[in-house]
Amino acid sequence: MANKNKTKTPEQIQYDQLQKKHELKRPILKNCIRAFFIGGLICLVGQAVTYFYIYFFNFTEQTAGNPTVATMVFIAMILTGFGVYDRIGQFAGAGSAVPVTGFGNAVISSAIEHRTEGYVLGVGGNMFKLAGSVILFGVFSAFIVALVKTILTMWGGF
Amino acid sequence: MKKRWKYTLVVFSLLLLLVGCTNQNDNKDSSMALIKTTQPTPMKLSNKNSDSLPAKVKKEVANIKEIYDVAVIEGNKTILVAYKVKHLYRFRMKSIEKRLTKRLKNEYPDEKFVVSSDYKIFLEAVRLREAMDAGKISKDQARKRFNNIVKLKEELT
Repeated sequence: MANKNKTKTPEQIQYDQLQKKHELKRPILKNCIRAFFIGGLICLVGQAVTYFYIYFFNFTEQTAGNPTVATMVFIAMILTGFGVYDRIGQFAGAGSAVPVTGFGNAVISSAIEHRTEGYVLGVGGNMFKLAGSVILFGVFSAFIVALVKTILTMWGGF
Repeated sequence: MKKRWKYTLVVFSLLLLLVGCTNQNDNKDSSMALIKTTQPTPMKLSNKNSDSLPAKVKKEVANIKEIYDVAVIEGNKTILVAYKVKHLYRFRMKSIEKRLTKRLKNEYPDEKFVVSSDYKIFLEAVRLREAMDAGKISKDQARKRFNNIVKLKEELT
């Protein structure tokens, strides 16, 4: 910090002090608590959906995860389209972005944002700008982990 | 005002949907089997003479401190042991299953066990028990259903 201040002009330092005086303090604890509870609530809904699939359909605990994820993403997409998820996001922050529902939100919100640029170059080209990297990261890391496991199993016989 | 109406309508229709879904032909035990402790009585579908084997197995499994709910069904070839693990021990589910399988194998070397902590398998075991008690299905049908439950164990993803 001191090093940075050395290169600054007196006007800049003065401005920094003025900014510090007027800057609103970020309520980190409050944000964390909100994220914790809303994120937990989303997970609770997910658990209820899992139980729903186990109870009414022929899914086991192992297999019920796939339709649950699909349902949660679908619900988040619809809520984003209706403009409800944005409000949840504003209130909960990371609590609504970290669960898998945040993925659905990322896809649909960018699709809505670029709608005016046309369906192919606008919606199609930008829909996966944020979510695409998530998918790629997931697929690639799964590939690496599978590779490591295969090699270990072949060598070690776990 | 109009918006509030809309919200009320959405919540109401959701409630209606959920309530409608619960109206199944399930009895009390199986409708709460995923949430509450059920402790279904052990059942025998085989033609073997030993009557007390499923009860013995159940007692043995119920004594393990990490487990709180056990359903045992003895089929012709296999004995199904479905159990629920206490919440704090769920991180160690695999090792519990391994230990239990080993213990049962040592105790009853002549029997073949299918051991599972899956909620679905437990729920189906309770449902099968209830259907048998109510006289809705014959023993043959019960055996078929039992085989289907055992097949669930092999299902992955």
